[in-house]
Amino acid sequence: MAAAETPSAALRRRDLCSRGIRLARKMRSDVADLLDAYVERQGLDASASVAALDGVPAAAAERWGEQTESQRLLDNLAAYRAFRALLTEMLEEQREQAAPADAALREALAAVLLQVSAFAYHLEELLRLESRGPPGEEGAGPPAGPRLGLFERKLRGLGVLRELAQWAVRSTRDLRQLAKPGPGGGGGAAAPAGPAEGQ
Amino acid sequence: MKCGSMDWDAAVTWTANGTDIDDSRLNGSYLVLRNVDLMQSGQYSCYEGSSWHLKYQTYLRVGTPPKEPVLMCRSNNYPKGFYCSWHLPSPTYIPNSFNISVIHGTREMVCEKDIFPKNRCHIRYLQLFSTVKYKVTLTVTNALGKNSTTLTFDEFTIVKPDPPENVVAKPVPNNPRRLEVAWQNPSSWPDPESFPLKFFLRYRPLILDQWQHVELSDGTSHTITDAYAGKEYIIQVAAKDNDIGTWSDWSVAVHATPWMEEPKHLTTEAQVTETTSTSTSSFMPPPTTKICDKGAVVGSGAVAVCWTAGLVLAAYGVLFI
Repeated sequence: MAAAETPSAALRRRDLCSRGIRLARKMRSDVADLLDAYVERQGLDASASVAALDGVPAAAAERWGEQTESQRLLDNLAAYRAFRALLTEMLEEQREQAAPADAALREALAAVLLQVSAFAYHLEELLRLESRGPPGEEGAGPPAGPRLGLFERKLRGLGVLRELAQWAVRSTRDLRQLAKPGPGGGGGAAAPAGPAEGQ
Repeated sequence: MKCGSMDWDAAVTWTANGTDIDDSRLNGSYLVLRNVDLMQSGQYSCYEGSSWHLKYQTYLRVGTPPKEPVLMCRSNNYPKGFYCSWHLPSPTYIPNSFNISVIHGTREMVCEKDIFPKNRCHIRYLQLFSTVKYKVTLTVTNALGKNSTTLTFDEFTIVKPDPPENVVAKPVPNNPRRLEVAWQNPSSWPDPESFPLKFFLRYRPLILDQWQHVELSDGTSHTITDAYAGKEYIIQVAAKDNDIGTWSDWSVAVHATPWMEEPKHLTTEAQVTETTSTSTSSFMPPPTTKICDKGAVVGSGAVAVCWTAGLVLAAYGVLFI
């Protein structure tokens, strides 16, 4: 059973959720611009299909409406930690290519990386409020895979940014669910069973 | 058309919708129709020459193969699902059957057909936030051929709410420049708390063509504060999901006129001298108010000072430059 939340904790949660929603919406807008720039600079077709990619968290969710608060926060945190590593990798690859004309692209990539990091930190704050504490980060980066060719790397980058754009929308929805008062959203630890926490 | 089991050289009479067909159309006992058009639809009957026994009867339906159908898909109840509807650009005049397939990645989804209208079906979302596109193919088939069309789209791009409902506009007492507008979320939008809508309000006085616009990120009401005093307004509202999709169509238009002060009874010297039986006379303002010149409106906060001929009314605003 979920623990009753103190008024100050409820206020803090709503505040964190509101700020998180604003962060997520700004991030989505910047990712959309970055996607356009990326497609253009990398010479890709914007409508190209990209198959499911290893190590890239897919935003698609079945039974999204039935997720618990914990699941939402943990899924989001895992995703943004992964994106932080993926974008860092993309940025390093862009720097290696070092074409002066791509400086603006690198700057935009760096700016989004910063927002992803900030959002991940924000999610950790929310988890601390849940008295759960954020889980430790497993490994420092994305899973090592076979070295991809240039075109495959470009396509992978496209896939990463597309999924990040979807995650930004999903996170907005998730945080709205968390901000809702009542048993369905908001209010204490979200573990589906077990003793009340944080009382 | 063969006249049943009659021999080729048998003497027969053919009729179309009860009217005898000229022998020039016959090849022996066969009826030959050339350059068939829609006018030739009808009941064709063949009678034995002398006995007038009916030997064959058929109903001929002249039609055309289907042209490429027009298909549209939209989600007005996100995140529950979406619907697709279709029609033919021109009639075929013969029965058609429609088959729709919806593919999402490797998964084929069920499109449940509506009883009414018959040219629509619904799909439930099995996943949300997917980057995989949906591919919808509609095939129309009739006795003369088939045609098809395919739509491919993202989950977000087809989201378009229905217009806001129950739009109401009221004057604000003692405020000649204000109108209060209120509306409701479309009833088809299933969860406005989790998936809030934002709104776009447009309004103009009937006498002007240019709309004023206001975008509202929350709430289902707004107070217009820059209405022209005494002018009837037309007001509409549209809705959009806060994060995805496109704007709804405009709501049904509502009309409202800002509050006006009751005309005071004024007495002038000229009117007193005309009066024979009363010591005071009342002056009624003219029934129509002067139209404000568009050119008198300057800047976003400006209003025109309106004058009726020969009468100074209380100033309704100040001209800002």
